[in-house]
Amino acid sequence: MKRKRFSFAAFYLALVTLITYLPIAVVVVFSFNDSKLPVAWKGFTWRWYETLLRDAALMEALRNSVVLGLVSCAFAAVVGTLGAIGMARVHYRSKGMMEYLSTVPIMLPEIILGMVFMAFFSLLRLPFGWPTLILAHTSFCIPYVYLMVKARLVGIDKSIEEAARDLGATPARAFFDITLPLILPAVASGCILSFAMSFDDVVISIFVNGPTLSTLPIKVYTQMRTGVTPEINALCTILLAAVVLAQALSAALRRGALRREESNDKGERV
Amino acid sequence: MKPRQRRERWWLCVAPLYLFTLLFVLGPVLYMIAVSFAQNTAGTGFRWAFTLENFAKMRDGVYLNCFRESLRLALSTTLLNVLIGYPFGYFMGRLGARGKRLMLFLVMVPFWTSSLIRLYGWLIILQAKGLLNNVLLALGLIREPLKILYTYPAVLTGMVYGLLPFMILAVYTSVEKMDWTLVEAARDLGATPARAFLTITLRLTLPGLMSGVILTFVPSMGLFFIADLLGGNKIVLVGSLIQDQMTRGGNQPFAAALALVLAVMTTLLLALYRRATHMSELEGML
Amino acid sequence: MKKKWLALLGAVTALALLAGCGAKKANSELVLYTWEGMFPPEVLEGFTARTGTKIVYSNFDYDETMLEKLSQAKGGDYDVVIADDYIIEQAVNAGLVSEIDKSVVTNYANINPRYQGQFYDPEDKYTVPYGCGIPLIVYDPAAVDFPIKGYNDLWNSALKDSVAITANYRVINGITLLSMGRSMNEEDLGVIAQAGEKLLRLAPNIRLIQDDNTQDALLNGEASVAFLYTSQVTQVMAENPDLKVVYPEEGLGFGIMAAFVPVNAPNKQAANEFLKYLLEPEISKACFEYIGYVNTTGAADGIVDPALVAPESAGSGEFIMNVSAEAEEAYNRNWAAFKAACGQ
Repeated sequence: MKRKRFSFAAFYLALVTLITYLPIAVVVVFSFNDSKLPVAWKGFTWRWYETLLRDAALMEALRNSVVLGLVSCAFAAVVGTLGAIGMARVHYRSKGMMEYLSTVPIMLPEIILGMVFMAFFSLLRLPFGWPTLILAHTSFCIPYVYLMVKARLVGIDKSIEEAARDLGATPARAFFDITLPLILPAVASGCILSFAMSFDDVVISIFVNGPTLSTLPIKVYTQMRTGVTPEINALCTILLAAVVLAQALSAALRRGALRREESNDKGERV
Repeated sequence: MKPRQRRERWWLCVAPLYLFTLLFVLGPVLYMIAVSFAQNTAGTGFRWAFTLENFAKMRDGVYLNCFRESLRLALSTTLLNVLIGYPFGYFMGRLGARGKRLMLFLVMVPFWTSSLIRLYGWLIILQAKGLLNNVLLALGLIREPLKILYTYPAVLTGMVYGLLPFMILAVYTSVEKMDWTLVEAARDLGATPARAFLTITLRLTLPGLMSGVILTFVPSMGLFFIADLLGGNKIVLVGSLIQDQMTRGGNQPFAAALALVLAVMTTLLLALYRRATHMSELEGML
Repeated sequence: MKKKWLALLGAVTALALLAGCGAKKANSELVLYTWEGMFPPEVLEGFTARTGTKIVYSNFDYDETMLEKLSQAKGGDYDVVIADDYIIEQAVNAGLVSEIDKSVVTNYANINPRYQGQFYDPEDKYTVPYGCGIPLIVYDPAAVDFPIKGYNDLWNSALKDSVAITANYRVINGITLLSMGRSMNEEDLGVIAQAGEKLLRLAPNIRLIQDDNTQDALLNGEASVAFLYTSQVTQVMAENPDLKVVYPEEGLGFGIMAAFVPVNAPNKQAANEFLKYLLEPEISKACFEYIGYVNTTGAADGIVDPALVAPESAGSGEFIMNVSAEAEEAYNRNWAAFKAACGQ
């Protein structure tokens, strides 16, 4: 009985995963297809990868997306983490309201945020481009970091830090030595999540991007309306390979670190 | 070193968050609310004169229909995501450590590839001379290519597909940290598997399910480009309407009014849902 | 310590903002704002090679989007804009367009005079035309078993779920009015409402509404009939000569696209040089053969693909013009209702 249920679970997981990967597989396969139209297989070619490397506009869009993701996620990490730490300790009357407001950017459909930012930034006469993109992206990255860190802080005993302070540590020292290491994993996952969201955002970016700036999703979106060139498939394949590689690498590193820690533990015990 | 003094410094920590939120969240939202009561003028501008005409205009059947369509699509997307994603996250959480790592990896990889590209993959699969039709034709199941692309099911496929990872990850997180001894105890006390699931597992994983629902419902209220691309521009959602009014139509006050109604609708539905599930925190997102 | 953090945060913010603003290099860039796919890459590269000015090719989807962005930018940010006739009239009226510097564009006379003195620029002060066209019906005779002669045939119930159309709401409202024997620029709200009702009856036949690459629907089998822009007609006929082109019997639409320099263009000198460059016969030839619109540079008539030289009948079609705000609103409403009906 138990065995049977397990195999259904495995079957279900495999089936859904397979369907999930179907469109990705199609995109990868057609990046090697010797035809501009993704209709029939016309033979193997590397030519889309060659044109991709020469396509300055697309490479620039990719670079822009990475920079935008990193910058907004860095801002969000600082503001969100400090905010979560502070919020856990202050008792202002405005706290509940502020907490809600700061998560509003992910509690509203993106289209609203994009529209609101476009109108507001043009009211402030901010130049459309990097400043507006970074502000808009930071605003929806902050909630991810904030919520992650907040959830983590709930699980941490406040008395540890207080004990450190009582033992004479400066607030900064107590923060860097005690609190920060404990919440770092949460900050990291918040950052990863917000980078992923920023890197993939199209709706908000379309509203606030400037005349000369293009991010990768904007480029892909325009192409999807006007005819996708297989270069995009090639780019996606490369990104996919990079992600798989990075994941494998981080898994290997983690395993290594784990082993080291274990041996350290043993060393201490001896 | 009085404890009192200690506490007072924390405002420095929250200051950036307060500042940013007031300036770039509350500010824009208040501005949008103000604009939604302003009067549209010919061309692209508007005039600061109080009017309700932007809201009155929405009573027109054409616009009401957009709201109805958006709501229908968002609700069916969320429902399908629960039906597909919950079992997935649940089964995933019951795997061994190795299996969990592998599945987590498999779920995360698509998350990192552009969602638009994956949508494009569906476009290739669903088109008249695409993969699905070719397979069905080759199997002799159909004689004429099916017209799947640019239909409602195609849009729904794209929406569910795009948002599924959020549901899976949210459910998985809460299944993963569940205390299984409770279920065992219930079984030992004679509860059927179904009853144990309903009374214990479902309850304990509700926070995950709840954040999954929020993480899929909220975006699906506004994701108009999937409907545009896979639906051949034929399904008009509030999102496309807002974009249209903001860019093509040059009617900012109407766009703001539409956005305001959409925001209120989303917030109310979320509040109702929260009340029904007695939950107030978003958790288990990764 | 925390103050230092804050200071650091402030410094990083300031730096990022500075970097963002500083990224625009003065005078070495020309921002060209038009639809995607309007220029062969070698034409843009050629201009950079000749003048050292880098071209930033920036795109909009609809004319109205362009106007909105341009007015948000107060006529700045962009150096050369190419868009449709009627929207240029609006831009001119809104004071967003600057006069062309004919001391730079010394070859202004290369323009075919037939496309000059139009409603959007009666005194030829603001624009350089960049192609014109007549939207037409194209169909696949293998998939349609009756001859299509005009717009009214699009309503034929035999075409259920097989018509692809472009997405300009004025054009689609316009051909509906033409099919009723009315003007594309009808301002009578009652007649517009009738056109709206007639459009609703077209809905069951619509497979796809899309402005870009609409012609692909004919090639990949999604649709058997399509209402297309001239460039798309040219492209689809090159791919599949078996398709049939129809000049609708009820009357033709007509449109000119033109380039202009916004009033606060950051790099006006380069913008005017670019317009001059476009009017060179060899460059015009390369452009029009690439986009497939009818050649508007008279000086290039002798060398361009003869299929792109306008026949005498061209110009007899009707321009889409700006109408009253009420009519505009009614057209918008028709369009929203039509799209919603298509999705049912």
